[in-house]
Amino acid sequence: MGSALVVRLSDLHPNEADHLRARADAMPEFDCEQWLTPRPLTESTVALVSTCGMHRRDDPPFTLGAVDYRLIPRSVDWADIVISHISANFDRSGLADDPNVAMPLDRLEDLAARGEIGAVSNWHYTFMGGHPQPQMFEEAGNEVGRLLAEDGVDVALLVPI
Amino acid sequence: MLSTATEPTIEDYPTDAPGAGPEAWACPLTLEVETDNSLGGQLLAEVGRLRPWAAETRRRRGRTLFGLSGAEPDQVDDVATVLATIAESGNVTDQPDTDIEWAHPMPFLLRHLADDLRSFYHEAIAAQPGDTPPNHEALNGWIFGETILGEVLLAIADHLTDAGAANPMAGIVRNLTVPEGH
Repeated sequence: MGSALVVRLSDLHPNEADHLRARADAMPEFDCEQWLTPRPLTESTVALVSTCGMHRRDDPPFTLGAVDYRLIPRSVDWADIVISHISANFDRSGLADDPNVAMPLDRLEDLAARGEIGAVSNWHYTFMGGHPQPQMFEEAGNEVGRLLAEDGVDVALLVPI
Repeated sequence: MLSTATEPTIEDYPTDAPGAGPEAWACPLTLEVETDNSLGGQLLAEVGRLRPWAAETRRRRGRTLFGLSGAEPDQVDDVATVLATIAESGNVTDQPDTDIEWAHPMPFLLRHLADDLRSFYHEAIAAQPGDTPPNHEALNGWIFGETILGEVLLAIADHLTDAGAANPMAGIVRNLTVPEGH
């Protein structure tokens, strides 16, 4: 799958790094559900959940304070993709060049073709990150969890942007 | 990790990001052109210089991120004209009067107009020769320090700041239109 690319806080603009530290400090506590060991990845159906604000061109764009989500089908045409994440500080250049940077669907297909995961989900989900109150996502998050379960998904790969 | 974890676990990846791109990057294009002195004229001329490169990137990628404002991908000039008009008039509240069916109300529309044109500029840069593309800071430094688009967006940001006293949304949109540090 290639090497992982990790950007550290020290790589960011000082203002952005300070902002992220403050956001981490303000993160609310969440109760943890009992840990469930998933079935082996080679037998698992995997879905993507990303906060990159990506969606299909004819979907309604994300708006200020949005806590809803958009559906990305497994067969999505990348030519049909736009990004309406409202942050002006969000670097889209890599994502514009390769949508897999934030929505690694093609990489999932590669893993499935090599037998490293069982299957790729038919549906994937995007939110718009950067919301100052993450607890506001609870309702939509629970809904997506139920939809993933109904769809037979075993593992959700979260891609925070 | 999924195979071995017995509880929620966080692990660092062992690899670092590659080089973040050149610290000092310069656009190889000559963007200055003889025009009238209006911001609109200068911006359209600048957009015209970038158009072949942006078209090349769109051709290669088979897609564009332009169009969140409601404009079609070939309406770059219309978006540029609207932004320049607003920069000169300071009117950040009235919906621009064009044939385009805008996807957002003002002033929130300004955020997506700005993003559409920045996407076009990024597409133009992405097609140019060179081993390493500019990083995010270099791109922003170029747009906001060296282009007419930057001049236009900073003028609009000032108008939004001024309007923010009476219309709090305008102040919010200002921070969604121009990146931190500009």
